[in-house]
Amino acid sequence: MSRVEDSLVVCDQCGLAHRWGPVGPGAVARCTRCDAVLGRGHRLSIGSILALTVAAGAAYLVAINASLLTITLRGGADDATLPEAIGVAWQGGQKLVAVVAALTALVAPAAFIFFRLYVLIPLAANRKPPGFATCVRILHQAGRWNMVEVFTVGVLLALVRLAALAEATPGPGLLALGVMTVLFASIESAGLKHLWWHVR
Amino acid sequence: MSRASNDAVPAPDVIGCESCGLASLNLVEGERPDLVQRCPRCGHVLHLVKPFAIQRTWACVVAAAILYVPANTLPVLVTTSALQHGEHTLLGGIHELWLDGSWALAVIVFIASIAVPVLKIGVLGLLAWTVRYAPAWRRHERARLYRLIEVVGHWSMLDVYVVVLLAATVRYGALASVDAGDGLLAFAAVVVLTLLATWSFDPRLIWQEFAPHGRRASA
Repeated sequence: MSRVEDSLVVCDQCGLAHRWGPVGPGAVARCTRCDAVLGRGHRLSIGSILALTVAAGAAYLVAINASLLTITLRGGADDATLPEAIGVAWQGGQKLVAVVAALTALVAPAAFIFFRLYVLIPLAANRKPPGFATCVRILHQAGRWNMVEVFTVGVLLALVRLAALAEATPGPGLLALGVMTVLFASIESAGLKHLWWHVR
Repeated sequence: MSRASNDAVPAPDVIGCESCGLASLNLVEGERPDLVQRCPRCGHVLHLVKPFAIQRTWACVVAAAILYVPANTLPVLVTTSALQHGEHTLLGGIHELWLDGSWALAVIVFIASIAVPVLKIGVLGLLAWTVRYAPAWRRHERARLYRLIEVVGHWSMLDVYVVVLLAATVRYGALASVDAGDGLLAFAAVVVLTLLATWSFDPRLIWQEFAPHGRRASA
């Protein structure tokens, strides 16, 4: 068999193998050759990640349904939600831009939450869900393409630029995006590979 | 789960699984694209170095550099009002923000839309070039540059979102309408291509003792 042992960790960035050793809480182990992070001493439990993911799911539902910003011009108000904004870009002939925006701000965050829930709920009950390996790979891609934090700043920028033209107010969707940004960062800090440590 | 490492192990034939992290012995000798080794735990394909990493990186970097021209010369934003028709390029929009007195915003948009894409194209070009022609040159700095563009890469998408949101909000306005211009398509393509270029490059190439095609690293 080609399996070496669970006591080795290989640096993602430079490929150097290291032996696992104990690391205190809050400490960070770095690659001795390229200084990339190998592992962290503090990890969230499966239960905590699950709780954060459920909260992120609730924030996501608000973020895509509620208005992100509203402008009032001569008595008439106009607002925009995320799916609407993507629809307008699609109808305006910017189909590729619409696809990229939908992928990075709508689909990837949804996959990020959905597949984590699918994996974490059985893991919390000490069971391995069917298709676990595929789900971890999908989660890796979802994490790469997810750009909720950039989109949140984009909404803020749009708000400031519109405020120069008309009365512009932030909507509840923007707050939900802010909450999602923070939750996603905490969930991602837990990493993906460690999910395998809970499968026995 | 507090596990992490302290000592390096001299094991050049060990591959770490990208997906689950399990260390496996490399069973494929030499460059054999026809042989595929999979992780015994999760089934992910294992490579000592990603196949065709340099070629793929160059393809995406060159395409991104070419599209960077229309992304900057064509308008990304078209405003129409009863009085005037305005076309705004990326740099023009930043200039207007600066003139309006929104210096902080102008700097943020400049970093996201101009500095980050240029940095990514330049750094990836440099990394792909040095792997072959200067393999031993400043390895630590090159590794750090790669990690930097991996982290900041997302942020160039900022202006794409801003234009999409402006166009969606100012729709049936009596005063004005805002539409995305053709430059935005080119710019979005630049952003996606630089992301793909970043992910196709393999930072393990920086640490190879031998450069591909037999060039010996000198230090």
